[in-house]
Amino acid sequence: MNDRAFTAAQDFLLSAKTYWSTTMYRALRDSHGEEGSQTVADVAQAIEDSTLYQVYAWYERHLQRMKYAGRYGLVPYHNERRIDLLSELDSEDSECTQESLTLPAYYTVVDIHQHPGGVWSDGIAGFVYERGARTTTPLAGAAEKDVHERFTDLILEEWKPANILDMGCGFGKSTQPFVRRLPDSTVEAIDLSVPCLRLASYAAREAQASNVRFRQMDACRTDYEAGSFDLVTSTMVLHEMPPKTIEDLLDEAFRVLTPGGRMIHLDFYCLPDVFRRFIHYGHARRNNEPYMQPFAELQLSSLVSSKGFVDAQVAPFQESDRVDLDGNEAWRFPWTVISATKPKT
Amino acid sequence: MNKRTKSPRAEQQFFNDPALDRFMGAFMALATEHYVLLDRVRAMEKQLTEAGRLDQEALDREPDEIERAETSADRAAFIEALMRPLLGEQDALGASGKFSLK
Repeated sequence: MNDRAFTAAQDFLLSAKTYWSTTMYRALRDSHGEEGSQTVADVAQAIEDSTLYQVYAWYERHLQRMKYAGRYGLVPYHNERRIDLLSELDSEDSECTQESLTLPAYYTVVDIHQHPGGVWSDGIAGFVYERGARTTTPLAGAAEKDVHERFTDLILEEWKPANILDMGCGFGKSTQPFVRRLPDSTVEAIDLSVPCLRLASYAAREAQASNVRFRQMDACRTDYEAGSFDLVTSTMVLHEMPPKTIEDLLDEAFRVLTPGGRMIHLDFYCLPDVFRRFIHYGHARRNNEPYMQPFAELQLSSLVSSKGFVDAQVAPFQESDRVDLDGNEAWRFPWTVISATKPKT
Repeated sequence: MNKRTKSPRAEQQFFNDPALDRFMGAFMALATEHYVLLDRVRAMEKQLTEAGRLDQEALDREPDEIERAETSADRAAFIEALMRPLLGEQDALGASGKFSLK
């Protein structure tokens, strides 16, 4: 597959996704109307059997499938370039791999995002995921700050953390703004995926960043001493974990935070109405994200408080200037900031 | 690193007749291929026109057997993309079948 054909096919699929997330989504929402449904089941009863919903659902599932698999998918494209891609990473250090770590079953049992093999089982998976993630927020303009920069803005408006732990850092997109904008701070970034960590480490080396380490580690059981960080953060991680694992992560975040330290996560949680909740739950199923619905149904503020945190806050997050949180017309993720503080005493 | 073998799993169903789910896949594969082709032709014609080397008569001429044999592997890959969705198997392991939130 040549680069031009791949780009043309991916552009075609993204254009179809844009039509789906705007015109088709609006038509579906309008067909349901404003009134009548009190529960997700009510919405399902009203529209699940309609042809429009069936078409909408099919396109959500299969545009994502075609993005990753099939003749012009991300996986075959990168597979053809495997040797060159892996040669870029060969000189990486060994911290990206922890031989004794067994990947948890919840993580390996499903190919998340319809990425064949998931983000962990193939050495090139980090490249595949990185390319795919470029269109996670299709409504954002190319000239805009991306969601990670905007999230970092929000945190740095509050204070400048000196020791940061980025849980579930993936290929380092969430980590990079902290590393670049806080050169005097120390950043530890952990993930389960070796292919993603190796790509993150490579990118950091290319950027000549010396204040960050990428390490393979389970966020629920890190090897950091208690009180090591004044900021523990994650981006798009919690919704990919079952509820018990989220509890373990919160316990670990509490343990490694210094007294007075802050825990701030960016994830998908605040759903303003029952139609959006119905859409979100369907998205979870169609996108191979089985823990998304259980996460959205947690009493998150209470759960965080029960772990010893204070000042637990859950607030919608505007991922793009083009988004109106009070009346957005297009499909979007329910971006949400979840924050809390470890008490000083 | 942990490894796992891939096992075929039935694709999710959205339409009342699962045959429609599968044919939609074929339709979209075809539409994608069509767009890739349009993009290629557009780029080629632009380059050739700029170089003053576009021979319209040669373009319209029926290809010979040698040329047809040279393109057979690409045709096979195209047919794979067109017809594999009809099998109704997932590419990535996930939940199967038709679901309801009623």
